[in-house]
Amino acid sequence: METIPFLFYYVTPYVAVIVFFGGIGYQLYRWGQKSQVRSHLSLYPRPESVGGRVLDALIDMFTLKGLFRVNKPLWAGGFIMHMGLLFVLGGHVRAFTDFYFLWDLLNWGDEQVHTFSAIAGTIAGTLFTLPLIYLLARRWSGAVKWLSTPEDFFLLFLLIGIGLTGFHMRLLQEVHVRELHAFFKGLVTFGWQPAPASAGGSFIYHFALVQLLMVYFPFSKLMHTIGVLYSKMVARS
Amino acid sequence: MLTKFFETVRQRINRPLQYYEDICVRCGACADACHFYAVSGDPIHIPAYRIMLIKKLIQSSPSGNGTFLDWYRESRQTDERTAAELERALWECTGCRRCAVYCPFDIDAALIVSAGRYSLLQEGIGPEMVAEIGNAEVSKGEIIDVIKDFYLEQVEVLEKQLQEEFAPGLRIPVDKEGARVLYIPLVGEHATVPMTKIFHAAEEDWTLSMFTATNHSFFVGDTAKAKQAAHWIIQEARRLGVQAIVYPECGHATRTALQYFDAWFGDEIADIERVNVVQLVASYLAEGKIQVQSGMFNTPLTYHDPCNLGRNVGAFEEPRALIRAVATDLRELTPTRELNWCCGGGGGLIAEPEMKDVRMKAGQPKVEQIQQTGAQWVVTACENCKTQLGDLNEQYELGVEIKGVVDLIADALVI
Repeated sequence: METIPFLFYYVTPYVAVIVFFGGIGYQLYRWGQKSQVRSHLSLYPRPESVGGRVLDALIDMFTLKGLFRVNKPLWAGGFIMHMGLLFVLGGHVRAFTDFYFLWDLLNWGDEQVHTFSAIAGTIAGTLFTLPLIYLLARRWSGAVKWLSTPEDFFLLFLLIGIGLTGFHMRLLQEVHVRELHAFFKGLVTFGWQPAPASAGGSFIYHFALVQLLMVYFPFSKLMHTIGVLYSKMVARS
Repeated sequence: MLTKFFETVRQRINRPLQYYEDICVRCGACADACHFYAVSGDPIHIPAYRIMLIKKLIQSSPSGNGTFLDWYRESRQTDERTAAELERALWECTGCRRCAVYCPFDIDAALIVSAGRYSLLQEGIGPEMVAEIGNAEVSKGEIIDVIKDFYLEQVEVLEKQLQEEFAPGLRIPVDKEGARVLYIPLVGEHATVPMTKIFHAAEEDWTLSMFTATNHSFFVGDTAKAKQAAHWIIQEARRLGVQAIVYPECGHATRTALQYFDAWFGDEIADIERVNVVQLVASYLAEGKIQVQSGMFNTPLTYHDPCNLGRNVGAFEEPRALIRAVATDLRELTPTRELNWCCGGGGGLIAEPEMKDVRMKAGQPKVEQIQQTGAQWVVTACENCKTQLGDLNEQYELGVEIKGVVDLIADALVI
């Protein structure tokens, strides 16, 4: 195998995982170093009980209902994209293992699972990628154009790239899930297996872009995934 | 340059501010929230821009510009232009937090504005008047003995006047030990007269403070001085042994009392309740301690939620209950409550003559809101709002009258 593919299959994944988790840990440590604020910086209305406030924060996190009230187009872009992401991540369980109990329950063979996967994956990928294109396009006009930095564009192109390479794998290659299982299990157990041949060329692009995302994640605004609950609880304190 | 600014702002970046800097995704939802931006279209007024400006200045590499990372993160050079931009970004803001309501992460841009203002102050940059008034409030406690006699004289004159005009048995107790509540007025009779009448009608065991409620150091982001100014009131409350401190129709003072005092004073304040007049008077009404003439005011009126009483402290329903008890035609502004537009006069801007043009411009969304209701009276419960609304009324020829909530109640009292 040539050097570059070899690096991205068997070397950089470990770097990506270490930097991803280590980086997040470092940021949490860095945030923890800053002094807490004991004043009640609450916004109203808000529920009385602490439990009520946590629930309110979580509901707003998962539905973005506050944003829906004030900016419906932006809500649509953000909400649908994140829903798509949720489904895509759920589907990616199938890169490592499978929902055997579900297939048994439905009495589905390989063919049926494959067809379902093609449809579900395409829907999830579309829900993820199309809104990203809208979110990218909107950064060239309105107030947000004054705010947008190179990071915002880089991340959007990166995520769209991950979505498109995922489509390529899904629709234009015939991915054999068992090969993926073996490959990833090999990485985890250090008993390395051949790169999944059935995925052809697009797997390495997809895999490499995801690793780039993982390495960049802790040092970017993607940390909003980790910080959002704290921020919302400050506004309910 | 601006070394003191940077030193100070770095120290002031606490946990919430660091989170805000790191998790803001620059979605721009906040832009639609800000009344300054709505009128100007100037990016400096976008709440997230204010946060990012400070972030970009702090993260600039020591060598200055030129590295790839500097380009990528849009690091900013510190120069004259930056100082001017910073001053505008941090002072053309009323700290209303409407942006935080819009933000998907509830990021409080007003918090960075507060930290930034204080940091700029270390460089001597920023409107001077606000800080000066703040200093006077801090030192008031030190000179209180000197002005006490004069103050008592003025109170006596007012007391006699009200005994003649309103009720013979009316008293304005000052320095009364063991009173139940300590009422903190504002400068000027208008903040004392209505509440004196209401306390009399409710047979409240109250005492008038020697101090006034305003806290201009808070506007400047000088939390140490804000705490010092407020501490005179806490000391007075403890000395007199009151159970509650009652704040007047003043937005920011109420906000500091309800949001900040616990953290500032801990045990010292733990057994003393803090309440705003509209909350107290609403409870008097609900408990039947005062009677008002129902339907006394037929004029179409609207209620303007002061940012610091509404979205910042949660007192939405009490003023409305009071107004409905005495008025027949209360029209809501659109949008209302936590989404209500700021009047444009908060954040200390009223105190600074050179900011008048800015706040007159920023008040345009408020003007449109009022015009839409067709109301002839605008009722509110914050001194700065009243001043700002009065100025807007004049500038934009709205033809309305500005009233306080407690004014209406005091005028409608049935003794």
